[in-house]
Amino acid sequence: MTATPEPMLQVSDLVIEFDTSAGRRRVVDGVSFSVQQGEVLGILGESGSGKTLSTLAVLGLVPGRPGVVGGRIDLVLDDRREALLADLPTVVSTPNRGPVRKDDRRWNRLVQRRWRPLWGRVMTAVFQNPRQSLDPLMTIGAQLDESVRLAEPTLGRLEVRGRSLDWLARVKLHEPARVHASYAHELSGGMCQRAMIAIALARQPRLLIADEPTTGLDTTVRQEIVELFQELLAAERRAMMYISHDIREVLFLAREIIVMRHGRIVEVVAAEDLKAGRGRRHPYTATLLAAADLPVGEVAS
Amino acid sequence: MNRLLGLVLLAGRRLAGGLLLLVGASFLIYFTIRSAPGDAIDAITPMGTPPEVKEKLAADFGLDQPPLAGYVTWLGRSATGDFGESLVFAPGEQVMTIARPAFKLTLLVSGGALLLCLFLATALAVVLGEPSPRQQLLTGALYFVTAAPAFVAAIFFSQGMNAFVRRFVEDAGYDTPPWYPIPIYSESVMPYFFAGIVLVAGDGLFMDMLNTVRAEILAVRNAQFIAAIRAKGASTLPHTFRNLVVPFVSAFAARLPVVLGGVVIVEYVFTLDGAGYLLLEASKQRDFPVVVGLSVLFTLAIIVMNLLADVVRAAVDPREVARNG
Amino acid sequence: MGRFSRIGLWLSGAIVLVVVLLGVVAPFIPYEPADAVSYDRVLEVPSVSHVLGTDEQGRDIAMRLVKGTEAFFLPGLMAAGIAVLVGALAGAVAGYATGPVRAVIVGALQLLDTLPRLVFIILVCTIRNPSVTLIAFVAGVLFIPTVAAVIRRKVEALGSEDYILAHIAHGFHSVWVILYHILWLQCWPIMVRQAAYVFGYVLFVETGLSYLGDYGVQEPDPSWGNMVAQVRSLPPDAPWPWLVPAAAIVLTISGFLAFGNLAARRGEEAIR
Repeated sequence: MTATPEPMLQVSDLVIEFDTSAGRRRVVDGVSFSVQQGEVLGILGESGSGKTLSTLAVLGLVPGRPGVVGGRIDLVLDDRREALLADLPTVVSTPNRGPVRKDDRRWNRLVQRRWRPLWGRVMTAVFQNPRQSLDPLMTIGAQLDESVRLAEPTLGRLEVRGRSLDWLARVKLHEPARVHASYAHELSGGMCQRAMIAIALARQPRLLIADEPTTGLDTTVRQEIVELFQELLAAERRAMMYISHDIREVLFLAREIIVMRHGRIVEVVAAEDLKAGRGRRHPYTATLLAAADLPVGEVAS
Repeated sequence: MNRLLGLVLLAGRRLAGGLLLLVGASFLIYFTIRSAPGDAIDAITPMGTPPEVKEKLAADFGLDQPPLAGYVTWLGRSATGDFGESLVFAPGEQVMTIARPAFKLTLLVSGGALLLCLFLATALAVVLGEPSPRQQLLTGALYFVTAAPAFVAAIFFSQGMNAFVRRFVEDAGYDTPPWYPIPIYSESVMPYFFAGIVLVAGDGLFMDMLNTVRAEILAVRNAQFIAAIRAKGASTLPHTFRNLVVPFVSAFAARLPVVLGGVVIVEYVFTLDGAGYLLLEASKQRDFPVVVGLSVLFTLAIIVMNLLADVVRAAVDPREVARNG
Repeated sequence: MGRFSRIGLWLSGAIVLVVVLLGVVAPFIPYEPADAVSYDRVLEVPSVSHVLGTDEQGRDIAMRLVKGTEAFFLPGLMAAGIAVLVGALAGAVAGYATGPVRAVIVGALQLLDTLPRLVFIILVCTIRNPSVTLIAFVAGVLFIPTVAAVIRRKVEALGSEDYILAHIAHGFHSVWVILYHILWLQCWPIMVRQAAYVFGYVLFVETGLSYLGDYGVQEPDPSWGNMVAQVRSLPPDAPWPWLVPAAAIVLTISGFLAFGNLAARRGEEAIR
């Protein structure tokens, strides 16, 4: 291992819980990981493994009650360290009486206050179901213009439009002008996801969180989207968290990979080692590799 | 441009549909008249109506012709706003002349009440936020209170206000307010205001509205695109508002018929000179042309409201044109 | 289903049960309105012999309250029956059929839906001999589109579900699948909710029109509506003759609506 610089994002001992009709359920159970400046962290796991929620917590977007109930999220920006979850009223215990309860209104208010300066500028996200990520009542162009204006408030109307069209071309949408004037329902899922990537990147964030961006898309389109990420990242040296249940995509993009299952991290491994079959694999990772017809290597018992 | 054309086409199609519905509804109304037992003209006029009036009425409503021909005659006259002359309520007056101001008033009261209801429901929905078990006592109590029919709500309201005035104003030696006792027979705006309050509070309207509005607000607030907009650092408010226009317009339009029913009885309880009062009074006195004219106007109001709602929906939501195009 | 909803279901169920019992029993209680009048016990406060007091004419309020259920009970059932049965069938056809059949049904439903209910009821009352049965019949017919709309949505949603398609693919007749698997097994909560709603509406119209005095139940026959109407002539210090029936109206309507909603919700949870 080479000497690693201080990571830009460090998550430690994250715990997320939800109240269900069957009582309280712990969906993320003490997860820790970190993202280096300009590197891609892949998070691999099946649905329900807590991978999406872990990343939503980084974004300050965990919905529901009680949500995040413990852990630390530290962000290092220009040598300034910010503890995002510090001093938030995480849980309110009522001793001897029932389950813990969180004042979620207060929590939401505080979280919004803390994350507002970060959203877009420092971190932003591309979600799965691209069509549902776009405001159905506004044209793609209007939403992209919004991002461009937020990133560069001094631009004039025409410059904003020009920048938007550039972005649409960079995400390889043909006929950018037509897409600019289209609504989400008029485009295919793949086109919507490209537009979504443009909208996210136009904010020029330092960290892009891509949460299963290819789920629900056709196989050929998935390939193209993944390649698009690769290209855009190589050009910008942006950090990214890439969440997927597809081991091939993660292997293609990420340098370091964490494998999650049942709300816990089962393995942290460098993509190189995984590809080459070096080291001993956790049985679950081995299953994933085998299912994708990749060399498994040695399996830890 | 393409979208504008689609919008115009859709509006045109909706207009045609609305006209068709109006024709259909008027057909139903006309055949309800024709279905009167025995000699229709005797069944619908008060006793002792002079024969020449009966004859004129029969001619106006095409009752002297076979049903279909009669319908066409009547429809032709009604289409020009000519619903005949009042028999008893204001003998010899054109129905439109007395119905128009009354109907305007009714639309004002019910539209105002509905807007107030929408506003209050939205405010409460925003305050309540995500549903939680702790709120159920409040919503349960509200559900119970607002399920009262508007006329019962009106009685509770007027009796309560009157008792209040007797107890705390009269007995204390102050001047009684101009609206005491309710119902008032005066030109004041207070009765309309009271009627509005009762319409909001009665007929289960408020809880129905609250549930709808709340579900819509939560659906938009928890929508994925709102999370995406937040994540890119933009303000979610304009997006939220825009996405709520369609559900709000639909909620408003869908409840207009309910309010137009409630207002009939409430106007009668508060003796307001609206179309509902006119309808009941004319119906009691068997002033048949007025009743029919008003029935058509009420139906027209509902059709026009639905038409407007459709056009607004299509104007705000581009998917609407695509879906119907 | 939360604890609060369960309590609500029991409470509203109790209200419905009481009203149904009264509605069934009331016709067998002998009552001659004219004989009940007694001017030597006018406006008595509730006591052992008159548990809810007496009204302006010295009639026992509890008795009139019980007999008053007759005015809306059977008409309410009839209206609920018409609206739910016809509405469910129309909705199922509208949701499943194609072509001209569907167009005709959808058009007819839309047409009925544009008529303002109370206004149309008053129109019918102007033309025909007004009676609560007639009013309930018209109300039932006017509620057909409301029921049909929800049923149709359900049928359309279920129509593309795999197990429904599987049933049809296994050779069951699609009419049987719709009637049994969709309407009977899946839509009964909807029907319960709608039936309770229509019943509540008939109570609302009957009491409202009886209150106004011309088309509902006429004095001296009892109706909760014309009992409330005594409010016009009662002295302020004797509110119970109108307060009792007014409370009964509110309780019954909210009870039926709540029961319909909560029972339906429980049913939907059980189906899922």
